[in-house]
Amino acid sequence: MEPLLVVRNVEKIYGNSANTFKALENISFKIDHGEFVGVMGPSGAGKSTLLNVLATIDSPTNGDIFISNDNIAKMKEEALSDFRRDHLGFIFQDYNLLDSLTVRENILLPLAIAKKPAAVIQARVDTIARTFGISNLLDKYPYQISGGQKQRTAASRALVSNPKLIFADEPTGALDSKSATDLLESLSKMNVEHETTIMMVTHDAYAASFCRRILFIKDGQLLKEIFRGTKTRKEFFQMILVELAQLGGDVHDVI
Amino acid sequence: MTLFDLALKNIRRNMKNYSLYIGSTIFSIIIYFTFVTLKYSEDISALAETSKQISGIMSASAFVLMIFVAIFIAYSNSFFMKKRKKEVALYSLLGVRKRSIGFMLFFENMVIGLFSLVVGIGLGFLLSRVLLTILMKLMGLDIVIGFAFSMNAVINTLIVFFIIFLFTSIQGYRVIYQFKLIDLFHAEKKGEELPKARIISALLGVVSLAAAYWLALQDLATSSIWRMLSLTMPIVIIALTVIGSALLFSSMLVYVLSVMKKNKRWAWKGLNLMTSSQLLYRIKGNTKTLTIIATLSATTITAGGAVFGIYYNADENIQAYTPYTFMWEGAPQEINPNIVEYVEAVHSKTVLIEQGTYEREYAVINQSTFEKLARNLDWSNIQVAQDGDVLMIDAFYDERWSQKIDSVIIEGAEYTVAKLYDKAVFNTSTVGASALVVTDQLYSKITADEKTYQAVQVKDYKNQLALSKKLAAKTENFSSATEDYRASIEASGALLFVGSFLGLVFLVATGSIIFFKMMTEAEEDKGKYTVLYKIGVSKREMKRTIRSQVGMIFALPLGLGLLHGAVALTAFSNLLMMDLLMPVLIWMLAYTLIYTIYYFITVRGFNKTVHLGGMEG
Repeated sequence: MEPLLVVRNVEKIYGNSANTFKALENISFKIDHGEFVGVMGPSGAGKSTLLNVLATIDSPTNGDIFISNDNIAKMKEEALSDFRRDHLGFIFQDYNLLDSLTVRENILLPLAIAKKPAAVIQARVDTIARTFGISNLLDKYPYQISGGQKQRTAASRALVSNPKLIFADEPTGALDSKSATDLLESLSKMNVEHETTIMMVTHDAYAASFCRRILFIKDGQLLKEIFRGTKTRKEFFQMILVELAQLGGDVHDVI
Repeated sequence: MTLFDLALKNIRRNMKNYSLYIGSTIFSIIIYFTFVTLKYSEDISALAETSKQISGIMSASAFVLMIFVAIFIAYSNSFFMKKRKKEVALYSLLGVRKRSIGFMLFFENMVIGLFSLVVGIGLGFLLSRVLLTILMKLMGLDIVIGFAFSMNAVINTLIVFFIIFLFTSIQGYRVIYQFKLIDLFHAEKKGEELPKARIISALLGVVSLAAAYWLALQDLATSSIWRMLSLTMPIVIIALTVIGSALLFSSMLVYVLSVMKKNKRWAWKGLNLMTSSQLLYRIKGNTKTLTIIATLSATTITAGGAVFGIYYNADENIQAYTPYTFMWEGAPQEINPNIVEYVEAVHSKTVLIEQGTYEREYAVINQSTFEKLARNLDWSNIQVAQDGDVLMIDAFYDERWSQKIDSVIIEGAEYTVAKLYDKAVFNTSTVGASALVVTDQLYSKITADEKTYQAVQVKDYKNQLALSKKLAAKTENFSSATEDYRASIEASGALLFVGSFLGLVFLVATGSIIFFKMMTEAEEDKGKYTVLYKIGVSKREMKRTIRSQVGMIFALPLGLGLLHGAVALTAFSNLLMMDLLMPVLIWMLAYTLIYTIYYFITVRGFNKTVHLGGMEG
């Protein structure tokens, strides 16, 4: 089967000629359709840079990124925003909800932007809200609901347009453990039942243990990848901790 | 390093951030200084001796300007301080004492003030030359402007602005003392509820506006309401207009937008949802500003339109009562035949006609003279007086006040008034405003003494002042359109100048207030546009929603202001029986044009703020 995402020799260099900093160096990997991939690494390893580059929010200095058959590294500004709208979904650590819109309106925004008919929008929003258990909150405003509910709203918004690929940047970073578990289980369910492809950046080993595969990066380079395979989540969690210990750095203190 | 050094360095390094504030203070100073210079100018004061009106207008306007400039600077300053709260918080967090920060801000503001004063007075000096020339031109005077630097104006400006800057500096100092560190951490986390629309107050707004308009359009002479309220009427109208505008913004628009937002077919399309909810917040939060701007715009448009209308109609007004360039009683005079367009000797007899309790004097002319005069003035409906008929001419006739006369008694016989002309067929100040046209036969029967008048029309009548003066010295009962025109232009020209000057200041100030407001909001909205960018909204679409948001905020008060102005000017033109359509249209177009320029500047600023800040991450 054709892989969904192909990353080939991606490099990202910040700064001008006199004072450069390589945030990403020679990164290559593939993600297949229906995978749930985690990206881990110490602070400053280039996790967020990698995510931004893949998410078309930032552009790589060198290398190619193919999503399906489109090379997003070579796309123009206008084409990129259409591409984001049609094929990608985002979940951020700080939710990024628009506080002047209700939960329902926040969720339907990507569909409205894609100019879908109102009836279709209505049906899709209701379905996704049920999946994330926020059906009764649809007419509330973001400031009236809790952090966990906000993040589930953000996740609903990311998934409502059935994107090919979901990018999650530390989605549990600001949540308590109960809310984090709820969210991760919902994402996991979406991944299993609807074959939604998810790529999640995190430095929380617990969150990472929900993934099927984990990429470790350090100093801008891809270091290693581990697969969950048939292991239980708890076994995988232990495995991740071992890897992190070997990796060194400051990741440990976070756990 | 002393505090003063720190303050100086602060300004020098942050020139870009400060430029908006400094720009508006310099602008205020230029405006004020220019105006005061004109007020103290010797050319103007020479003029003012002949016209007490002008000096009165200048003084009153200078006062209005002073108040306005003070408010404007205070507003820019508070906007500027708001932007710098974070910087202040940082100093405070690092442990700098409040007193030191306060002193620093105080010094800083004073330095800005001094700098603006120097620049403003310098530029104002140059500008006042230009404006003085324009003023003289408008008043139709050919005076060479001396290059005088008015010390009085400088001192006046220095004092006024020193007080204003002292005040704003103290204000800045006070901000520091009211400031709490905790505010910084909670500043962004506000949860405002979406405004609810109340239908009753929305309706009330429409009703009070309608009432104000209805009252304004009542006929002064016949309306019983005018008689009842008399002098309080304008106050009632203004109060109703202001209340109506405020309610319209706070309820009516909120209501309309809520309804639109609920309509899924419209709202759930593209960024319409975003546009409407942003506007809902913005209109609710800005009701006061929007009302002020609508009122200011209405005032400016009305005052400017009226003054411009009078100036524009000066020509027509003269023509109405002085249709011939020169007219005098007696023998013909020698005038260069190259410039003469029409000469006519008019014979007329004066009769007294009884009208109820009093007698009125009429100049009587015969049919053939009337026809010659009227045809020369391009009258279209020249009627012929039949036997037993007369035609009446009354230049001051106004159907609202004047008594209509159906018949007159001449030489013992009664004649029917077959037609009434309410315009002058010759210069009213030479012959009189009322005249009767009779058949040639009846004319010869009238026994009164015959007087002879000369009516002359020359080319380019506005510029025949020398000829006019020459004739005036030689003749009796002389009337001159040239002279009348000059007098009228002189008075209304000064009025027009002051009017457009103040109008421009108001316009720039209202435009700037909206600009400041929108820039603050752009800063607050940055995050929202970053989110939109990330979920795949194209820049083109974001620009479109920004355009419509900013556009609404500009268009709403402007539209309402134009509407208010249109109603007020209709009332004004009805009252004075003047056709103001053209001048008012020109004035409104000019106003709208400058507003539009502001709109584009604001949209650009908004885009810049939103894009530059939010798109990197």
